[in-house]
Amino acid sequence: MDHMPNGLGNGKAHEAFVAEWRDKAYGCFSSGHKFCRNVCPVMQVTRNENHSPTAFHANVVAMEQGHITVEDVAEDYVHCTQCGACELRCPNTLMAGEFYRARTRTVDVVKAMRAFAVEQGVEQPNWKRWVEATVDAKNEPVLDVPVSQDNVRNWAKDLDIPVGGETIMFVDCEAAFYRTSLPRAIAQVLQLAGVQFGLMREQWCCGGPAREMGYNEQSRFLAQHNVDDWRAIGAKRIITIEPHDYVHFTEDYPWHFGDDFDFEIVHILDLVAELIDEGRLQLTQPINRVATYHDPCRLNKRKGIHEAPRKILRAIPGLDFRDVDHVTQWSYCSGAGGGLMIEKPEITAAISEQRLERAAELEVDLLVSACVWSERPLTTAGLAQSPQIEVRDIMEMVAESAGIAVEGVRELAEGGMA
Amino acid sequence: MTSVLPSPTPVAERVYDELVDILGEANVLVDRPARYNRTRVPSPFPVHRWNDHVPDVVVLPESTEQVVEIVKLANRTKTPIVPRAAGTGLADGAVPLRHGILLDVKRMNRIWDLDTQNYTVNVGPGVNMLKLNEFLQPHGLFYPDNPASYPCSMVGGRIGTSGWSLIGARYGHTKDLVLSMEVVLPTGEVIEVGSGGGRKLRKASTALTLKELFFGHQGTLGITTNATLSLHPRPEAEFAAFFAYPDYDTAYRSCGALSKSGLASMAGVVLFDERKLDYLRRDDEAYIEQPSDVVAVNAVALYGTEDEVVPAARRILQIGYDTGGRYLGDEVSQGDWAARHDRYAIPLHGRLREGAGGPAVGRAGQVVPMSWHCEDAAINYTELPAVREKWHAIADRYIERYGIFDDWGMFAYTNGSHSPYGDYLVEIDIGIWEQELNDENWAAWTACKKEIAQVAIDHGGSITACHGATRAGEVDLVPQELGGAFEVMKSIKRMLDPNNIMNPGKYLFDQAYEGAP
Repeated sequence: MDHMPNGLGNGKAHEAFVAEWRDKAYGCFSSGHKFCRNVCPVMQVTRNENHSPTAFHANVVAMEQGHITVEDVAEDYVHCTQCGACELRCPNTLMAGEFYRARTRTVDVVKAMRAFAVEQGVEQPNWKRWVEATVDAKNEPVLDVPVSQDNVRNWAKDLDIPVGGETIMFVDCEAAFYRTSLPRAIAQVLQLAGVQFGLMREQWCCGGPAREMGYNEQSRFLAQHNVDDWRAIGAKRIITIEPHDYVHFTEDYPWHFGDDFDFEIVHILDLVAELIDEGRLQLTQPINRVATYHDPCRLNKRKGIHEAPRKILRAIPGLDFRDVDHVTQWSYCSGAGGGLMIEKPEITAAISEQRLERAAELEVDLLVSACVWSERPLTTAGLAQSPQIEVRDIMEMVAESAGIAVEGVRELAEGGMA
Repeated sequence: MTSVLPSPTPVAERVYDELVDILGEANVLVDRPARYNRTRVPSPFPVHRWNDHVPDVVVLPESTEQVVEIVKLANRTKTPIVPRAAGTGLADGAVPLRHGILLDVKRMNRIWDLDTQNYTVNVGPGVNMLKLNEFLQPHGLFYPDNPASYPCSMVGGRIGTSGWSLIGARYGHTKDLVLSMEVVLPTGEVIEVGSGGGRKLRKASTALTLKELFFGHQGTLGITTNATLSLHPRPEAEFAAFFAYPDYDTAYRSCGALSKSGLASMAGVVLFDERKLDYLRRDDEAYIEQPSDVVAVNAVALYGTEDEVVPAARRILQIGYDTGGRYLGDEVSQGDWAARHDRYAIPLHGRLREGAGGPAVGRAGQVVPMSWHCEDAAINYTELPAVREKWHAIADRYIERYGIFDDWGMFAYTNGSHSPYGDYLVEIDIGIWEQELNDENWAAWTACKKEIAQVAIDHGGSITACHGATRAGEVDLVPQELGGAFEVMKSIKRMLDPNNIMNPGKYLFDQAYEGAP
């Protein structure tokens, strides 16, 4: 049962890691106030201090002091969706962090510790398999469907979307292979509004999940291909339809490539809100449902995108939209992000269940999300509610309200519709 | 420096199987991160002696029955047991002194039996007040226990430390707001204590009152597994006013006048001294810049119905003006009051002082991560100016000599429940650069604390208004402060806890067992 520190890897790597992170960690450790804990989606369901943002910092100090090793803690760091709520709720962020140039950076600490664990050969079995399969197939091993470059564009069948061009629509793996109704809906909305865009020649996984799980080399390998493909087809502007991609392209790609990364990254919700504002997209068909909106963590907490989706939903006629403000939603999450769903699906399910319970209190029959990865666990949790709450993507709603008949697969999960 | 505790320890080996029988394997943790992460609280911690405080095993019970079985096992095997709720206390009640079993109540977080007729709710000790108020809001009710740690602290810890609330002058403090509770005694018996035998009563007179015995015991007398709380109607109106003064003495006299206004909606007055203003100017990015003639500040808060608060606010503005204060405007007043929890939790960094010794030599002005010591003596109004001067002088002396401390100024908060006058919770905030701690610096720190506590006693006060006097240094003065009452406390401790298993080492209660068979 016992093992000794520094039994793995080499002491120099350990020292380099703690030297880089110890002062940043100390900013949290020495305070220990833990305002983060009640907004942390994982802590809310496990209530195990090992999984708290505070512990993620304190462990670094304990490593510095020689009490524990990366081997001791690596599995604890699985318990994070990288939603960023803890950083927003930290008094240091609110009051003093920028001033001291010591802003709390829990998401970065988690990414760094995961990467250090991988470097040291401490791997999580499901993440290892997932990343290996992604590198092998060039796309993530999305469940239930064959994944390969041969069918990465099947969702676009008969839509006459060109390959190449200045503006590229990047389609996330889950959307490309699993919830194909979503990219179809988005493509058709853009076509209706007269937005010119194309697809990549060969679209690989964005590499973001690998980066989130600590596999930086594999992440860069995938990212490099995508950037090369963009350059080869003359792309300058990338439309992302999924919040994780948006974070990876705006944060991780510049981390990989530095100043050479000069593409304009656009999020679909900002673009569509603009199209509606300019009158280029008319939402005319009523959707007579009672709905609330789920702020995807990466849009709301990481990138501050929360106004555009509300503007869009308020533009849909017939919709009874019962909003919960975006700050309250700092403590909401689907549990799907940061690889948690792949290693700890039961925790993801519990987080989604809690999210749906909050929706049920509003007596809605529809939960609208804008993150395709959230929609699988949220859908499962919605089906377990009584009465059931349906989960849809905001862009599918936009398409419907714009009078577009969307095909493709929306849901293969139990009780879902094919 | 490097030293590695075994996992599991011999103590954990001894109790592990039985704990697993009680709780299931998933709720018994012996891994090092689980133990190291349930060691410190926000108060300054001897990081260089972390291993001295690491528990052997962590348990995560969900029911009273499980707690009873754990305590019985601890009592039978004479294994120390330390209860821990949020671990956000500013004394070190939840820091183990003798290793043993760390009983973490965070999974005892259910809310039962909301009584909207008698205005009570029954909760587990792992319930946080902010989350409770989210639950109560649709019912038009709220639970007004509102410490600086409101977003994270928990009912169990509030009871264990006998907490103080920022709006306690209006609504009372934890001991007033907890009507009754279920306590697992150190021998495993379960009792209910409250006012008389009823669980939802606010006043009774049957025989002796035991309830207060279980507030502030810092886990030395048992474990609260359930509490019935007194609820209030949600206030219709909140009013906050911040006043500025050209000097401390004017602010001090104005503070007295404001707190003695006689207004029933008065929730509290907070006096900021010059050093606090200096600190906010220096190092708080959210501080709204004020002219340099703003030297001291009073903050006042009113809560209640609109009919109460609107005219009371006019009265407060008049008193503030008449006593030499300048109203700082709605933006500062409302914004700073709304940010009070975060504002009082910011000190994460300090600066090294010009001319100070130790590691500060040649690094004046440098920002370093610092832990926060928040002294919380209870002091009478008449003694505030003298205590303030002595405390800053003590802090200056240690800062200059050791270089690892910083003075972040002082607050004085109205202290009495429903009686915002006469006595104050007096806080000096001192930063400690923990990364530089060694035995010598830690000894200096505890000596500094002892001097600070001695001043409080010398002025007829108490070492602590709400955190507890368990911290190294000051704890040595507890017998001096309490006199003969401390002897009675030791008798009670030994009677309830014959084997000294509940948080042993705290409050010098080991003395109760000296010479015992």
